[in-house]
Amino acid sequence: MASSRDDFIIAIRSAFLKKSTQQKFSLLTLVFISIFIILLSSLDFKAVRYLKAGLSEVVYRSSFIVSIPENFVRNSFINIIEYTTFFNRYQNNRDELDKLKSDFVSNEIIQYENQELKVLIDDYISSSNKILAKIIVDHDSPFLKSIIINKGSKDDIKIGTNIYDQSYLVGRVIEVNYKTSRVLLLSDLNSNVPVTIAPQNIQAIVTGSGDNFGQIKYIKAGLSEELVDESIVYTSGTGAIFKSGVPIGKLRSKKDGSSNRYDVEFYSDFTQLKYVFAETITQIEIPQVEPEIVPIEDKSEELEESKLKILEDELKIIEETNSKFIEENENLTSEINDLNNQISVLNNEIFLQKQKINQFNLDTQELEFLKLNLEHGHKCRKSFFNADGFNVGTEEYKSCVLNGGRTGG
Amino acid sequence: MEVEQVANLKTKGSFSKLYTWLPIILLFVSVLNEFDFNYLKLEYFSFNFPFILIFFFTLKDFKHFDYLFVFFAGLLNDTVIGLPLGISSLSYTLICIATAYIRNITIRPSPMKDWFYFLFIISLINSLNYSVLTLFFSYDLVLTSYLVNTTCTFLLYIIFVSIFKYYMKGIND
Repeated sequence: MASSRDDFIIAIRSAFLKKSTQQKFSLLTLVFISIFIILLSSLDFKAVRYLKAGLSEVVYRSSFIVSIPENFVRNSFINIIEYTTFFNRYQNNRDELDKLKSDFVSNEIIQYENQELKVLIDDYISSSNKILAKIIVDHDSPFLKSIIINKGSKDDIKIGTNIYDQSYLVGRVIEVNYKTSRVLLLSDLNSNVPVTIAPQNIQAIVTGSGDNFGQIKYIKAGLSEELVDESIVYTSGTGAIFKSGVPIGKLRSKKDGSSNRYDVEFYSDFTQLKYVFAETITQIEIPQVEPEIVPIEDKSEELEESKLKILEDELKIIEETNSKFIEENENLTSEINDLNNQISVLNNEIFLQKQKINQFNLDTQELEFLKLNLEHGHKCRKSFFNADGFNVGTEEYKSCVLNGGRTGG
Repeated sequence: MEVEQVANLKTKGSFSKLYTWLPIILLFVSVLNEFDFNYLKLEYFSFNFPFILIFFFTLKDFKHFDYLFVFFAGLLNDTVIGLPLGISSLSYTLICIATAYIRNITIRPSPMKDWFYFLFIISLINSLNYSVLTLFFSYDLVLTSYLVNTTCTFLLYIIFVSIFKYYMKGIND
Protein backbone atom coordinates (compact mmCIF):
# COMPACT_ATOMS: atom_id res chain seq x y z
CA MET A 1 0.00 0.00 0.00
CA ALA A 2 2.74 2.37 1.09
CA SER A 3 4.89 1.54 -1.92
CA SER A 4 2.04 2.28 -4.38
CA ARG A 5 1.51 5.66 -2.70
CA ASP A 6 5.25 6.34 -3.00
CA ASP A 7 5.11 5.43 -6.69
CA PHE A 8 2.23 7.86 -7.20
CA ILE A 9 4.08 10.65 -5.42
CA ILE A 10 7.25 9.94 -7.37
CA ALA A 11 5.32 9.96 -10.66
CA ILE A 12 3.56 13.22 -9.79
CA ARG A 13 6.78 14.87 -8.63
CA SER A 14 8.52 13.73 -11.76
CA ALA A 15 5.67 15.03 -13.94
CA PHE A 16 5.71 18.43 -12.27
CA LEU A 17 9.38 19.07 -11.73
CA LYS A 18 11.49 16.95 -14.05
CA LYS A 19 12.73 18.71 -17.12
CA SER A 20 13.51 16.60 -20.15
CA THR A 21 16.70 17.33 -22.01
CA GLN A 22 14.78 19.42 -24.52
CA GLN A 23 12.64 21.34 -22.01
CA LYS A 24 13.77 24.72 -20.72
CA PHE A 25 11.12 25.14 -18.01
CA SER A 26 9.56 22.67 -15.59
CA LEU A 27 5.79 22.32 -15.88
CA LEU A 28 5.28 23.56 -12.33
CA THR A 29 6.98 26.85 -13.27
CA LEU A 30 4.71 27.20 -16.29
CA VAL A 31 1.62 26.50 -14.15
CA PHE A 32 2.65 29.24 -11.73
CA ILE A 33 3.36 31.66 -14.59
CA SER A 34 -0.09 30.89 -16.09
CA ILE A 35 -1.84 31.56 -12.77
CA PHE A 36 0.19 34.75 -12.33
CA ILE A 37 -0.85 35.97 -15.80
CA ILE A 38 -4.52 35.14 -15.11
CA LEU A 39 -4.35 37.18 -11.89
CA LEU A 40 -2.62 40.08 -13.65
CA SER A 41 -5.16 40.15 -16.48
CA SER A 42 -8.03 40.14 -13.99
CA LEU A 43 -6.53 43.04 -12.01
CA ASP A 44 -6.51 45.29 -15.10
CA PHE A 45 -3.32 47.29 -14.51
CA LYS A 46 -2.45 49.98 -17.03
CA ALA A 47 0.85 48.33 -17.96
CA VAL A 48 -0.88 44.98 -18.44
CA ARG A 49 -3.54 46.65 -20.55
CA TYR A 50 -0.93 48.17 -22.87
CA LEU A 51 0.95 44.89 -23.04
CA LYS A 52 -2.25 43.06 -23.87
CA ALA A 53 -3.15 45.62 -26.54
CA GLY A 54 0.32 45.25 -28.12
CA LEU A 55 0.08 41.48 -28.05
CA SER A 56 -3.44 41.57 -29.50
CA GLU A 57 -2.27 43.83 -32.31
CA VAL A 58 0.41 41.33 -33.37
CA VAL A 59 -1.71 38.24 -32.79
CA TYR A 60 -4.74 39.53 -34.71
CA ARG A 61 -2.62 40.37 -37.73
CA SER A 62 -0.87 36.98 -37.54
CA SER A 63 -4.22 35.28 -37.17
CA PHE A 64 -5.48 37.10 -40.26
CA ILE A 65 -2.50 35.93 -42.32
CA VAL A 66 -2.68 32.36 -41.00
CA SER A 67 -6.43 32.23 -41.67
CA ILE A 68 -6.06 33.11 -45.38
CA PRO A 69 -6.03 29.48 -46.63
CA GLU A 70 -8.95 28.45 -44.40
CA ASN A 71 -10.86 31.60 -45.31
CA PHE A 72 -10.32 30.76 -48.97
CA VAL A 73 -11.78 27.29 -48.43
CA ARG A 74 -14.62 28.72 -46.38
CA ASN A 75 -15.45 31.42 -48.91
CA SER A 76 -15.40 28.91 -51.76
CA PHE A 77 -17.76 26.68 -49.80
CA ILE A 78 -20.12 29.60 -49.10
CA ASN A 79 -19.93 30.76 -52.74
CA ILE A 80 -20.94 27.34 -54.02
CA ILE A 81 -23.95 27.31 -51.71
CA GLU A 82 -24.85 30.88 -52.71
CA TYR A 83 -24.75 30.16 -56.46
CA THR A 84 -27.38 27.46 -56.11
CA THR A 85 -29.93 29.95 -54.81
CA PHE A 86 -28.68 32.89 -56.84
CA PHE A 87 -31.64 33.51 -59.17
CA ASN A 88 -34.36 33.28 -56.51
CA ARG A 89 -32.44 35.60 -54.29
CA TYR A 90 -31.95 38.05 -57.15
CA GLN A 91 -35.70 38.28 -57.73
CA ASN A 92 -36.43 38.67 -54.04
CA ASN A 93 -33.76 41.33 -53.75
CA ARG A 94 -35.19 43.27 -56.68
CA ASP A 95 -38.64 43.36 -55.08
CA GLU A 96 -37.17 44.31 -51.77
CA LEU A 97 -35.10 47.07 -53.36
CA ASP A 98 -38.19 48.72 -54.83
CA LYS A 99 -39.85 48.68 -51.44
CA LEU A 100 -36.75 49.98 -49.73
CA LYS A 101 -36.39 52.86 -52.14
CA SER A 102 -39.81 54.15 -51.17
CA ASP A 103 -39.08 53.58 -47.48
CA PHE A 104 -35.82 55.44 -47.78
CA VAL A 105 -37.52 58.68 -48.80
CA SER A 106 -39.87 58.65 -45.81
CA ASN A 107 -36.92 57.74 -43.61
CA GLU A 108 -34.98 60.78 -44.71
CA ILE A 109 -37.96 63.00 -43.94
CA ILE A 110 -38.19 61.54 -40.45
CA GLN A 111 -34.50 62.13 -39.89
CA TYR A 112 -34.79 65.78 -40.84
CA GLU A 113 -37.82 66.16 -38.58
CA ASN A 114 -35.94 64.53 -35.75
CA GLN A 115 -33.03 66.91 -36.18
CA GLU A 116 -35.34 69.92 -36.20
CA LEU A 117 -37.10 68.74 -33.06
CA LYS A 118 -33.82 68.24 -31.27
CA VAL A 119 -32.87 71.80 -32.08
CA LEU A 120 -36.22 72.96 -30.71
CA ILE A 121 -35.75 71.24 -27.34
CA ASP A 122 -32.23 72.67 -26.96
CA ASP A 123 -30.73 69.20 -27.12
CA TYR A 124 -27.57 68.27 -28.91
CA ILE A 125 -27.11 67.04 -32.46
CA SER A 126 -25.01 63.95 -32.70
CA SER A 127 -22.99 64.02 -35.83
CA SER A 128 -22.14 60.46 -36.66
CA ASN A 129 -19.42 59.31 -38.92
CA LYS A 130 -19.52 55.77 -40.17
CA ILE A 131 -16.16 54.20 -40.88
CA LEU A 132 -15.89 51.13 -43.04
CA ALA A 133 -13.98 48.38 -41.26
CA LYS A 134 -12.80 45.03 -42.50
CA ILE A 135 -13.23 41.91 -40.41
CA ILE A 136 -9.83 40.38 -40.05
CA VAL A 137 -10.63 37.56 -37.63
CA ASP A 138 -13.98 35.77 -37.40
CA HIS A 139 -13.71 32.30 -35.98
CA ASP A 140 -17.37 31.81 -35.12
CA SER A 141 -16.44 30.15 -31.85
CA PRO A 142 -19.24 28.15 -30.22
CA PHE A 143 -18.38 29.72 -26.85
CA LEU A 144 -17.81 33.40 -27.54
CA LYS A 145 -19.33 35.28 -30.46
CA SER A 146 -16.93 38.06 -31.37
CA ILE A 147 -15.09 39.43 -34.39
CA ILE A 148 -11.93 41.47 -34.85
CA ILE A 149 -12.01 44.57 -37.09
CA ASN A 150 -9.09 46.47 -38.59
CA LYS A 151 -9.93 49.81 -36.95
CA GLY A 152 -8.80 50.90 -33.53
CA SER A 153 -8.13 53.89 -31.31
CA LYS A 154 -6.23 55.46 -34.23
CA ASP A 155 -9.56 55.76 -36.05
CA ASP A 156 -11.47 57.15 -33.03
CA ILE A 157 -12.97 53.78 -32.11
CA LYS A 158 -13.84 53.61 -28.43
CA ILE A 159 -15.16 50.93 -26.12
CA GLY A 160 -18.90 50.84 -26.74
CA THR A 161 -18.75 52.06 -30.34
CA ASN A 162 -21.77 50.68 -32.21
CA ILE A 163 -21.04 48.40 -35.15
CA TYR A 164 -23.40 48.05 -38.10
CA ASP A 165 -23.95 45.86 -41.10
CA GLN A 166 -25.52 48.36 -43.52
CA SER A 167 -28.01 50.02 -41.16
CA TYR A 168 -28.55 46.98 -38.92
CA LEU A 169 -26.93 46.70 -35.54
CA VAL A 170 -24.31 43.97 -35.25
CA GLY A 171 -22.71 44.60 -31.86
CA ARG A 172 -20.44 46.89 -29.93
CA VAL A 173 -16.73 47.27 -29.38
CA ILE A 174 -15.45 45.69 -26.14
CA GLU A 175 -11.71 45.90 -26.64
CA VAL A 176 -9.74 48.59 -28.45
CA ASN A 177 -6.15 48.34 -29.62
CA TYR A 178 -4.25 50.86 -31.73
CA LYS A 179 -5.28 49.52 -35.13
CA THR A 180 -7.66 46.69 -34.27
CA SER A 181 -10.75 46.19 -32.07
CA ARG A 182 -12.83 43.30 -30.80
CA VAL A 183 -16.57 43.48 -31.39
CA LEU A 184 -18.99 41.57 -29.19
CA LEU A 185 -21.79 40.35 -31.45
CA LEU A 186 -25.44 40.58 -30.44
CA SER A 187 -25.64 36.79 -30.56
CA ASP A 188 -23.11 36.38 -27.73
CA LEU A 189 -24.48 35.21 -24.39
CA ASN A 190 -22.90 38.22 -22.69
CA SER A 191 -24.64 40.73 -24.97
CA ASN A 192 -27.66 42.62 -23.59
CA VAL A 193 -29.43 45.28 -25.65
CA PRO A 194 -32.34 47.44 -24.45
CA VAL A 195 -34.94 47.38 -27.21
CA THR A 196 -38.39 48.59 -28.20
CA ILE A 197 -40.79 46.20 -29.90
CA ALA A 198 -42.98 47.90 -32.49
CA PRO A 199 -45.86 48.45 -33.12
CA GLN A 200 -46.83 47.43 -29.57
CA ASN A 201 -44.23 49.83 -28.15
CA ILE A 202 -43.05 47.36 -25.53
CA GLN A 203 -39.68 47.79 -23.82
CA ALA A 204 -37.50 44.71 -23.32
CA ILE A 205 -33.93 43.41 -23.31
CA VAL A 206 -32.53 41.21 -26.06
CA THR A 207 -29.79 38.85 -24.94
CA GLY A 208 -27.66 36.66 -27.16
CA SER A 209 -28.34 32.96 -27.21
CA GLY A 210 -24.90 31.77 -28.26
CA ASP A 211 -26.57 30.84 -31.55
CA ASN A 212 -27.57 33.02 -34.50
CA PHE A 213 -30.61 34.53 -32.81
CA GLY A 214 -31.44 36.60 -29.75
CA GLN A 215 -33.92 36.08 -26.94
CA ILE A 216 -36.41 38.54 -25.48
CA LYS A 217 -35.88 38.79 -21.74
CA TYR A 218 -36.85 40.99 -18.81
CA ILE A 219 -40.22 41.90 -20.27
CA LYS A 220 -42.91 43.28 -17.97
CA ALA A 221 -45.37 40.60 -16.83
CA GLY A 222 -48.54 40.48 -18.92
CA LEU A 223 -47.06 42.37 -21.86
CA SER A 224 -45.77 39.24 -23.56
CA GLU A 225 -49.35 38.35 -24.54
CA GLU A 226 -49.40 41.43 -26.78
CA LEU A 227 -46.36 40.32 -28.76
CA VAL A 228 -46.95 38.97 -32.25
CA ASP A 229 -44.74 37.43 -34.89
CA GLU A 230 -42.97 39.74 -37.35
CA SER A 231 -42.95 42.64 -34.87
CA ILE A 232 -39.94 44.87 -35.43
CA VAL A 233 -37.26 45.00 -32.75
CA TYR A 234 -35.09 48.11 -32.61
CA THR A 235 -32.81 49.71 -30.05
CA SER A 236 -34.53 51.91 -27.48
CA GLY A 237 -31.37 53.80 -26.53
CA THR A 238 -32.00 53.20 -22.82
CA GLY A 239 -28.77 53.38 -20.87
CA ALA A 240 -27.08 55.24 -23.73
CA ILE A 241 -25.04 52.16 -24.67
CA PHE A 242 -26.67 51.82 -28.05
CA LYS A 243 -28.03 54.57 -30.28
CA SER A 244 -31.83 54.61 -30.35
CA GLY A 245 -33.92 53.55 -33.34
CA VAL A 246 -31.46 51.13 -34.91
CA PRO A 247 -33.17 48.04 -36.33
CA ILE A 248 -32.05 44.69 -34.93
CA GLY A 249 -34.42 42.01 -36.15
CA LYS A 250 -37.88 40.53 -36.27
CA LEU A 251 -39.78 38.77 -33.51
CA ARG A 252 -40.48 35.04 -33.72
CA SER A 253 -42.54 33.20 -31.13
CA LYS A 254 -41.84 29.58 -30.30
CA LYS A 255 -43.74 27.16 -28.09
CA ASP A 256 -41.65 26.32 -25.06
CA GLY A 257 -43.69 23.88 -22.99
CA SER A 258 -46.84 25.59 -21.77
CA SER A 259 -45.56 29.11 -22.40
CA ASN A 260 -44.31 30.97 -25.47
CA ARG A 261 -40.67 31.87 -25.99
CA TYR A 262 -39.85 34.97 -28.02
CA ASP A 263 -36.75 34.98 -30.20
CA VAL A 264 -35.30 37.73 -32.33
CA GLU A 265 -34.27 36.79 -35.83
CA PHE A 266 -31.44 39.22 -36.60
CA TYR A 267 -31.68 41.15 -39.87
CA SER A 268 -27.98 40.67 -40.38
CA ASP A 269 -26.37 37.26 -40.84
CA PHE A 270 -23.35 37.44 -38.54
CA THR A 271 -21.67 34.47 -40.17
CA GLN A 272 -21.51 36.24 -43.55
CA LEU A 273 -19.97 39.51 -42.43
CA LYS A 274 -16.97 40.75 -44.38
CA TYR A 275 -17.15 44.49 -43.82
CA VAL A 276 -18.92 46.44 -41.12
CA PHE A 277 -19.46 50.10 -40.27
CA ALA A 278 -18.19 51.54 -37.01
CA GLU A 279 -20.09 54.64 -35.97
CA THR A 280 -18.05 57.26 -34.19
CA ILE A 281 -20.33 59.82 -32.60
CA THR A 282 -19.47 63.38 -31.67
CA GLN A 283 -22.01 65.48 -29.80
CA ILE A 284 -22.38 69.02 -31.04
CA GLU A 285 -23.98 71.29 -28.46
CA ILE A 286 -26.47 73.73 -29.93
CA PRO A 287 -25.09 77.22 -29.26
CA GLN A 288 -27.20 79.12 -26.73
CA VAL A 289 -28.05 82.74 -27.67
CA GLU A 290 -26.15 84.87 -25.19
CA PRO A 291 -28.15 87.82 -23.75
CA GLU A 292 -26.63 91.25 -24.42
CA ILE A 293 -24.92 92.85 -21.45
CA VAL A 294 -26.76 96.08 -20.47
CA PRO A 295 -25.40 98.78 -18.07
CA ILE A 296 -26.97 98.68 -14.58
CA GLU A 297 -28.45 102.28 -14.67
CA ASP A 298 -30.51 101.47 -17.77
CA LYS A 299 -31.87 98.32 -16.28
CA SER A 300 -34.76 99.85 -14.20
CA GLU A 301 -36.02 101.89 -17.17
CA GLU A 302 -35.90 98.85 -19.39
CA LEU A 303 -37.74 96.87 -16.74
CA GLU A 304 -40.59 99.42 -16.61
CA GLU A 305 -40.72 99.59 -20.36
CA SER A 306 -40.95 95.87 -20.64
CA LYS A 307 -43.70 95.83 -17.95
CA LEU A 308 -45.65 98.47 -19.88
CA LYS A 309 -45.19 96.50 -23.03
CA ILE A 310 -46.53 93.41 -21.34
CA LEU A 311 -49.55 95.37 -20.03
CA GLU A 312 -50.21 96.83 -23.47
CA ASP A 313 -50.06 93.39 -24.94
CA GLU A 314 -52.46 92.10 -22.29
CA LEU A 315 -54.87 94.97 -23.02
CA LYS A 316 -54.69 94.28 -26.69
CA ILE A 317 -55.47 90.63 -26.08
CA ILE A 318 -58.45 91.51 -23.82
CA GLU A 319 -59.85 93.95 -26.41
CA GLU A 320 -59.52 91.38 -29.12
CA THR A 321 -61.29 88.79 -26.98
CA ASN A 322 -64.03 91.28 -26.15
CA SER A 323 -64.75 92.11 -29.77
CA LYS A 324 -64.85 88.41 -30.49
CA PHE A 325 -67.41 87.92 -27.69
CA ILE A 326 -69.59 90.77 -29.04
CA GLU A 327 -69.47 89.35 -32.50
CA GLU A 328 -70.40 85.93 -31.20
CA ASN A 329 -73.26 87.45 -29.18
CA GLU A 330 -74.72 89.15 -32.26
CA ASN A 331 -74.49 85.97 -34.21
CA LEU A 332 -76.29 84.09 -31.44
CA THR A 333 -79.13 86.69 -31.26
CA SER A 334 -79.78 86.49 -34.98
CA GLU A 335 -79.74 82.72 -34.72
CA ILE A 336 -82.36 82.86 -31.91
CA ASN A 337 -84.61 85.13 -34.05
CA ASP A 338 -84.37 82.75 -36.95
CA LEU A 339 -85.25 79.87 -34.72
CA ASN A 340 -88.31 81.71 -33.30
CA ASN A 341 -89.56 82.41 -36.82
CA GLN A 342 -89.13 78.78 -37.68
CA ILE A 343 -91.14 77.79 -34.56
CA SER A 344 -94.11 80.06 -35.50
CA VAL A 345 -94.16 78.68 -39.03
CA LEU A 346 -94.18 75.19 -37.67
CA ASN A 347 -97.00 76.02 -35.21
CA ASN A 348 -99.17 77.31 -38.10
CA GLU A 349 -98.50 74.17 -40.03
CA ILE A 350 -99.54 72.06 -37.02
CA PHE A 351 -102.80 74.03 -36.60
CA LEU A 352 -103.71 73.60 -40.29
CA GLN A 353 -102.96 69.91 -40.14
CA LYS A 354 -105.12 69.52 -37.01
CA GLN A 355 -108.03 71.25 -38.80
CA LYS A 356 -107.63 68.94 -41.76
CA ILE A 357 -107.68 65.92 -39.48
CA ASN A 358 -110.90 67.11 -37.75
CA GLN A 359 -112.59 67.74 -41.10
CA PHE A 360 -111.55 64.33 -42.27
CA ASN A 361 -113.02 62.71 -39.13
CA LEU A 362 -116.34 64.59 -39.63
CA ASP A 363 -116.51 63.57 -43.25
CA THR A 364 -115.90 59.96 -42.32
CA GLN A 365 -118.75 60.01 -39.72
CA GLU A 366 -121.09 61.67 -42.24
CA LEU A 367 -120.26 59.10 -44.88
CA GLU A 368 -120.94 56.28 -42.42
CA PHE A 369 -124.33 57.83 -41.46
CA LEU A 370 -125.35 58.23 -45.13
CA LYS A 371 -124.48 54.59 -45.84
CA LEU A 372 -126.56 53.39 -42.84
CA ASN A 373 -129.33 55.84 -43.72
CA LEU A 374 -129.71 54.23 -47.12
CA GLU A 375 -129.88 50.82 -45.50
CA HIS A 376 -131.95 51.49 -42.36
CA GLY A 377 -133.52 54.92 -42.97
CA HIS A 378 -136.97 53.48 -43.80
CA LYS A 379 -137.06 51.67 -40.44
CA CYS A 380 -136.51 54.87 -38.47
CA ARG A 381 -138.51 57.37 -40.53
CA LYS A 382 -141.97 58.29 -39.14
CA SER A 383 -144.72 57.29 -41.64
CA PHE A 384 -148.19 55.98 -41.84
CA PHE A 385 -146.99 52.43 -41.42
CA ASN A 386 -144.27 53.26 -38.91
CA ALA A 387 -145.79 55.22 -36.07
CA ASP A 388 -142.79 54.50 -33.80
CA GLY A 389 -140.43 56.26 -36.18
CA PHE A 390 -138.79 59.66 -35.84
CA ASN A 391 -138.80 62.81 -37.81
CA VAL A 392 -135.92 63.05 -40.27
CA GLY A 393 -133.12 65.31 -39.07
CA THR A 394 -133.71 64.77 -35.35
CA GLU A 395 -131.07 63.34 -33.00
CA GLU A 396 -133.32 60.31 -32.26
CA TYR A 397 -133.55 59.55 -36.00
CA LYS A 398 -129.81 59.79 -36.30
CA SER A 399 -129.16 57.46 -33.35
CA CYS A 400 -131.81 55.03 -34.71
CA VAL A 401 -130.01 54.90 -38.10
CA LEU A 402 -126.62 54.46 -36.41
CA ASN A 403 -128.09 51.60 -34.26
CA GLY A 404 -129.11 49.81 -37.43
CA GLY A 405 -132.86 50.72 -37.36
CA ARG A 406 -133.50 49.74 -33.73
CA THR A 407 -135.81 52.33 -32.22
CA GLY A 408 -135.75 51.23 -28.61
CA GLY A 409 -132.80 50.97 -26.18
CA MET B 1 27.29 16.46 -60.24
CA GLU B 2 28.69 16.75 -56.73
CA VAL B 3 27.29 20.26 -56.36
CA GLU B 4 23.89 18.95 -57.38
CA GLN B 5 24.09 16.20 -54.76
CA VAL B 6 25.09 18.68 -52.08
CA ALA B 7 22.20 20.94 -53.06
CA ASN B 8 19.80 17.98 -52.93
CA LEU B 9 21.08 17.04 -49.50
CA LYS B 10 20.69 20.64 -48.32
CA THR B 11 17.10 20.81 -49.61
CA LYS B 12 16.34 17.45 -48.06
CA GLY B 13 17.90 18.62 -44.78
CA SER B 14 15.85 21.80 -44.53
CA PHE B 15 12.72 19.93 -45.55
CA SER B 16 13.23 17.26 -42.89
CA LYS B 17 13.92 20.01 -40.33
CA LEU B 18 10.62 21.62 -41.21
CA TYR B 19 9.00 18.20 -41.10
CA THR B 20 10.24 17.58 -37.56
CA TRP B 21 8.92 20.96 -36.43
CA LEU B 22 5.56 20.33 -38.12
CA PRO B 23 3.55 19.49 -34.92
CA ILE B 24 4.53 22.71 -33.18
CA ILE B 25 3.90 24.73 -36.37
CA LEU B 26 0.51 23.04 -36.66
CA LEU B 27 -0.20 23.92 -33.02
CA PHE B 28 0.50 27.63 -33.65
CA VAL B 29 -1.50 27.61 -36.88
CA SER B 30 -4.43 25.94 -35.18
CA VAL B 31 -4.52 28.39 -32.26
CA LEU B 32 -4.24 31.38 -34.57
CA ASN B 33 -6.72 29.99 -37.06
CA GLU B 34 -9.17 28.18 -34.76
CA PHE B 35 -9.03 25.12 -36.98
CA ASP B 36 -12.49 23.76 -36.09
CA PHE B 37 -14.71 23.59 -39.23
CA ASN B 38 -17.29 25.91 -37.63
CA TYR B 39 -18.18 27.27 -41.07
CA LEU B 40 -19.69 23.90 -42.01
CA LYS B 41 -22.61 24.94 -39.78
CA LEU B 42 -23.01 21.48 -38.34
CA GLU B 43 -25.20 22.09 -35.36
CA TYR B 44 -23.35 21.79 -32.06
CA PHE B 45 -20.24 20.48 -33.82
CA SER B 46 -16.97 21.82 -32.45
CA PHE B 47 -13.76 20.26 -31.29
CA ASN B 48 -10.50 21.32 -29.74
CA PHE B 49 -7.66 20.38 -32.06
CA PRO B 50 -4.84 21.80 -29.86
CA PHE B 51 -5.90 19.46 -27.03
CA ILE B 52 -5.47 16.40 -29.29
CA LEU B 53 -2.17 17.65 -30.66
CA ILE B 54 -0.68 18.51 -27.27
CA PHE B 55 -1.90 15.32 -25.63
CA PHE B 56 -0.50 13.07 -28.33
CA PHE B 57 2.90 14.67 -28.83
CA THR B 58 3.64 15.28 -25.16
CA LEU B 59 2.59 11.72 -24.40
CA LYS B 60 5.07 10.53 -27.00
CA ASP B 61 7.63 12.95 -25.52
CA PHE B 62 8.28 14.35 -28.99
CA LYS B 63 11.57 16.20 -28.87
CA HIS B 64 10.52 19.31 -30.80
CA PHE B 65 7.36 19.79 -28.79
CA ASP B 66 8.65 22.20 -26.17
CA TYR B 67 6.47 23.01 -23.15
CA LEU B 68 7.40 26.67 -23.50
CA PHE B 69 5.98 26.75 -27.04
CA VAL B 70 2.84 25.05 -25.77
CA PHE B 71 2.59 27.72 -23.10
CA PHE B 72 2.95 30.53 -25.70
CA ALA B 73 0.40 28.82 -27.94
CA GLY B 74 -2.02 29.04 -25.01
CA LEU B 75 -1.41 32.78 -24.71
CA LEU B 76 -2.07 33.24 -28.44
CA ASN B 77 -5.25 31.18 -28.19
CA ASP B 78 -6.54 33.38 -25.35
CA THR B 79 -5.82 36.51 -27.35
CA VAL B 80 -7.54 35.20 -30.48
CA ILE B 81 -10.64 33.89 -28.70
CA GLY B 82 -10.86 36.81 -26.29
CA LEU B 83 -10.51 34.87 -23.07
CA PRO B 84 -8.59 36.25 -20.06
CA LEU B 85 -4.88 35.78 -20.70
CA GLY B 86 -3.40 32.63 -19.20
CA ILE B 87 -6.49 30.40 -19.17
CA SER B 88 -5.53 28.32 -22.20
CA SER B 89 -1.86 28.30 -21.17
CA LEU B 90 -2.89 26.76 -17.87
CA SER B 91 -5.10 24.21 -19.66
CA TYR B 92 -2.35 23.21 -22.06
CA THR B 93 0.22 22.99 -19.29
CA LEU B 94 -2.14 20.79 -17.27
CA ILE B 95 -2.41 18.44 -20.26
CA CYS B 96 1.38 18.31 -20.36
CA ILE B 97 1.46 17.44 -16.65
CA ALA B 98 -1.14 14.71 -17.15
CA THR B 99 0.75 13.16 -20.05
CA ALA B 100 4.04 13.35 -18.15
CA TYR B 101 2.37 11.54 -15.27
CA ILE B 102 0.82 8.83 -17.48
CA ARG B 103 4.20 8.36 -19.20
CA ASN B 104 5.84 7.81 -15.85
CA ILE B 105 3.34 5.25 -14.61
CA THR B 106 2.82 3.34 -17.86
CA ILE B 107 4.97 0.34 -18.56
CA ARG B 108 3.07 -1.08 -21.52
CA PRO B 109 1.28 1.70 -23.51
CA SER B 110 -2.21 0.95 -24.83
CA PRO B 111 -3.98 3.27 -27.33
CA MET B 112 -7.36 2.42 -25.81
CA LYS B 113 -6.24 3.38 -22.30
CA ASP B 114 -4.70 6.57 -23.67
CA TRP B 115 -7.97 7.41 -25.39
CA PHE B 116 -10.08 7.15 -22.25
CA TYR B 117 -7.41 8.84 -20.22
CA PHE B 118 -7.62 11.68 -22.76
CA LEU B 119 -11.38 11.88 -22.18
CA PHE B 120 -10.84 12.13 -18.43
CA ILE B 121 -8.20 14.85 -18.80
CA ILE B 122 -10.11 17.06 -21.25
CA SER B 123 -13.31 16.73 -19.19
CA LEU B 124 -11.37 17.83 -16.11
CA ILE B 125 -9.72 20.75 -17.92
CA ASN B 126 -12.92 21.92 -19.58
CA SER B 127 -14.70 21.79 -16.21
CA LEU B 128 -11.91 23.84 -14.70
CA ASN B 129 -12.09 26.32 -17.58
CA TYR B 130 -15.85 26.63 -17.28
CA SER B 131 -15.67 27.12 -13.50
CA VAL B 132 -12.92 29.76 -13.65
CA LEU B 133 -14.63 31.71 -16.45
CA THR B 134 -18.08 31.70 -14.86
CA LEU B 135 -17.06 32.12 -11.21
CA PHE B 136 -14.11 34.51 -11.42
CA PHE B 137 -14.72 36.32 -14.71
CA SER B 138 -18.57 36.27 -14.77
CA TYR B 139 -18.74 34.91 -18.31
CA ASP B 140 -22.07 33.51 -19.52
CA LEU B 141 -21.27 30.18 -21.15
CA VAL B 142 -23.39 27.33 -22.47
CA LEU B 143 -22.52 24.13 -20.64
CA THR B 144 -23.95 22.04 -23.50
CA SER B 145 -21.40 23.53 -25.91
CA TYR B 146 -18.60 22.45 -23.57
CA LEU B 147 -20.03 18.94 -23.29
CA VAL B 148 -20.43 18.62 -27.07
CA ASN B 149 -16.95 20.03 -27.62
CA THR B 150 -15.48 17.50 -25.17
CA THR B 151 -17.35 14.61 -26.79
CA CYS B 152 -16.37 15.59 -30.35
CA THR B 153 -12.74 16.12 -29.32
CA PHE B 154 -12.77 12.69 -27.66
CA LEU B 155 -14.29 10.99 -30.73
CA LEU B 156 -11.97 12.69 -33.22
CA TYR B 157 -8.89 11.88 -31.12
CA ILE B 158 -8.63 8.36 -32.49
CA ILE B 159 -8.78 9.58 -36.11
CA PHE B 160 -6.11 12.23 -35.60
CA VAL B 161 -3.94 9.79 -33.65
CA SER B 162 -3.84 7.44 -36.62
CA ILE B 163 -2.71 10.34 -38.82
CA PHE B 164 -0.08 11.40 -36.25
CA LYS B 165 1.19 7.84 -36.01
CA TYR B 166 1.71 7.85 -39.75
CA TYR B 167 3.68 11.07 -39.35
CA MET B 168 5.75 9.57 -36.51
CA LYS B 169 6.50 6.56 -38.67
CA GLY B 170 7.74 8.93 -41.37
CA ILE B 171 10.04 10.64 -38.84
CA ASN B 172 11.48 7.36 -37.56
CA ASP B 173 12.10 6.11 -41.09
